[in-house]
Amino acid sequence: MSLLTLLSVVLLSVPVSIEVDTSDFRLAEVVVTANHHHGTRLSSVSSVEVDATSLTAELQGSLAKGLDAIAGVQASAIGSGQSRPAIRGLGFNRLAIIHDGIRHEGQQWGDDHGLEIDRFAIDNIEIIKGASALLYGSDAIGGAILLNSSPRPSFDSIYKPVSGSAHLFARSNNLLLGASVRLEGVHPIIGDNEPREQSFYWRLNMTYQDYADYSVPTDSFEYYSYRIPLYKRTLRNTAGREADGSLTLGYSTYHWHTCLRVFETWSASGFFANAHGLEVRLSDIDYDRSRRDVDLPKQSVNHLKVLWHTAYSYDHWGVEVNAAWQHNLRREESEPVSHGFMPTPPNTLERQFSKHTATLNVSARWQVAARHTLRLGMLGEMQHNRRSGWGFIIPDFEQYSVGLFASEEWRVNNNLMLNAGVRYDYQHTHIHPYEDWYLTPVGDTAVYQQRSSALRRSFNSFTWSAGMQYKTAGWLVKANIGKAFRTPIAKELGADGVNYHIFRYEAGNGELNPEECYQADVSVAWENKYVRLQADPFVGYFPNYIYLNPTSDYREGLQLYRYTQARVVRAGAEMMLTVRPWEYLDISLQGEYLFARQLSGEKAGYGLPFSPPWRLMPQLRFHWKEQGYAAVDVRVSGAQRDIVPPEKPTEGWWTLNMSAGQRFSFNTCALTLNLKAENILNTKYFDHTSYYRLIDIPEAGWNLSAMVSVDF
Amino acid sequence: MALILGALVIILVACENKNRDVTPPQIDQATFLPADCDIYYLSDTMLVHFVCSDDSELGNYNIEIHSNFDHHTHGTSGVDCEDDEHDDAEHEHEGDAEHEHEAVEGAWVYNHDFSIDRGKTSETIDLKIAVPADVAVGDYHFMLRLTDRAGWQTIKAVAIHLHRQTE
Repeated sequence: MSLLTLLSVVLLSVPVSIEVDTSDFRLAEVVVTANHHHGTRLSSVSSVEVDATSLTAELQGSLAKGLDAIAGVQASAIGSGQSRPAIRGLGFNRLAIIHDGIRHEGQQWGDDHGLEIDRFAIDNIEIIKGASALLYGSDAIGGAILLNSSPRPSFDSIYKPVSGSAHLFARSNNLLLGASVRLEGVHPIIGDNEPREQSFYWRLNMTYQDYADYSVPTDSFEYYSYRIPLYKRTLRNTAGREADGSLTLGYSTYHWHTCLRVFETWSASGFFANAHGLEVRLSDIDYDRSRRDVDLPKQSVNHLKVLWHTAYSYDHWGVEVNAAWQHNLRREESEPVSHGFMPTPPNTLERQFSKHTATLNVSARWQVAARHTLRLGMLGEMQHNRRSGWGFIIPDFEQYSVGLFASEEWRVNNNLMLNAGVRYDYQHTHIHPYEDWYLTPVGDTAVYQQRSSALRRSFNSFTWSAGMQYKTAGWLVKANIGKAFRTPIAKELGADGVNYHIFRYEAGNGELNPEECYQADVSVAWENKYVRLQADPFVGYFPNYIYLNPTSDYREGLQLYRYTQARVVRAGAEMMLTVRPWEYLDISLQGEYLFARQLSGEKAGYGLPFSPPWRLMPQLRFHWKEQGYAAVDVRVSGAQRDIVPPEKPTEGWWTLNMSAGQRFSFNTCALTLNLKAENILNTKYFDHTSYYRLIDIPEAGWNLSAMVSVDF
Repeated sequence: MALILGALVIILVACENKNRDVTPPQIDQATFLPADCDIYYLSDTMLVHFVCSDDSELGNYNIEIHSNFDHHTHGTSGVDCEDDEHDDAEHEHEGDAEHEHEAVEGAWVYNHDFSIDRGKTSETIDLKIAVPADVAVGDYHFMLRLTDRAGWQTIKAVAIHLHRQTE
């Protein structure tokens, strides 16, 4: 197991924040923890790991924004200074977020819905690029992001009653102030010096942050030739606050490990006042009186997650059980305004979604023979979603799914490892009908229009994958081929009405089939004492990519967008080069390129919306042992002219960024300072993958962030 | 590796030969009727005139007229007409959002989808819209939404006023 983990760590390749361990080329200390959550990952997949220390230094913005320093990972800004991740251009429901072994279930279909996860409760992130349905099921068609909290406090801390850390952080761009505290303890039950035998442990995390409207390097923006001035170059009403808390209680012995975790996140933030959704709107609210207040339109989200994890391992076999319950409650409020035949609504509650998700995952590992390891797994999930408010986007639904998988890993010799697996999934979706709360004239009468009809669908998916890893002096080669899938979501199946948020009429399609993807990828890495070079090309074919197609028709006064399925091909590559001419200096260059084409349907010949253009990220980094570093990097992005209606072409851009950190160690504690300056030249640029690109709002202007951390 | 690179090259070559429409349809601004700040009377007839074109093929259009009593705006009309009634309202009810957004009984809602014959790249549209006799007067928006066959949309919004005959 530890060898497998070590081998996969070798692949982790981004020099900035990723630890590479080989005898010759040691970029930083490797942190290999006893890993209970992602022990089932296949060794052949291309993955990138970010550890706790790098997390603190790099993730000074949102979780996603920090990850986009990794080639192949993009962060799409969604306003409020937040962003959401995408892997190789695929996000939303084409990306599985696995939090401590459980798929995180919010309202991830939404264009402006962030991730409801406290990043300070996360100690390790793994990015799995490419289709990974075998282990993670539906949604992992573009890849998976594994967010793990460390399984238990370090055993060093048994000598203190309480250990932990505290962070204070600030950002200049949106005047963010925040604090996070972690307290934890390990208490041996028998044998003071042998905590591994039997111990009880606990951990408490608390985070709070408050931010103001964020600033952009422009005085006004123009949308449909309407010029909207910005007050003091800030986006009105994008302020917000967030409070998170989590508690872990665990018990472990040499063979057993069991823990209960409770996570609660709460956030409240405004939507940009001049464009709720994509509609330009003027209001009587005096947004400019304060930069910190949150007026209408606004959102608030509560996410409660209760997670129980148990693992048992003995000799040649191990069993792991993860059970979880999640409740996501999202409320979106806006000024009631009449539209079309909808009269002025009675209150501000435009949309509310209340979603419960129950998950049970059971997996077993059995080392059948010296070089053969078999894994079996069963994953079950139930979702229950209820809406309310006067705006309709998705219907009420229930969803039940079960998946079974088996995989085999064969260590042919010390250099070569092969793996293969199969998976079967069944899902049943039950969508409820929805009727408007107001009358629409039809001919001589008026009716409550039905926006969603009752629908029951069952989906079956059979997927498979195979991979290899070959390691020899200086070389590491990985290759995978496989099939992944994604079941259509309720919005894609059941939407039938005006989406007032984006001002279009969206028609779902109850006939949609599960989206499938055949993918092949290769990762080749070579290194010596001074140079490391890695290239990760990939190609994927979707026989039935689910696509929201803008048509030329109108329905109820708005342009009709219809969910269709089209053949799509995607291909691309990431490249990473690091040169270490001197012990204390790394010169690195990362790049990524992605190409997508629709091969059938009305948009044959076009690409896909929000396709990231090519990127290059050169960096110079000085580092002195584990104590400190200083780095300067440039982000270069190409133009994107491969557009689909209603997108506009985006020009290329570059930004200059710097960061530095220093750790001061004392007897019983350590103090760490981290500074980061982003977009130093205050460049006005548009990111093609950002939501507000559609209304011509540039990316955030320059920002200085600082963090002081104490470990005790 | 070579296989994937080969596949990549083939895909790039095979997929790049299709002519894609990447420009939205055009609306001639100079001859557009109604014009900003035009005044119409109850029971009047509104003359709509515009010339539209697209480099590959026109799609369809929609005309919507709705009250602008709450002074939200949809787009291209940034014009402040001199007799905009909301100028006064703003001073009277400053900060009183609830009042501003009260539903106005009897506001005129006009919303019709129109189709353009297939295969046209240019079209002149002339329409007559009857203004009802029994709707609330005040500030309105006239909106034209136009698509081309590929699904690009162009929007034109005009601020108009509805007056009583006696005014």
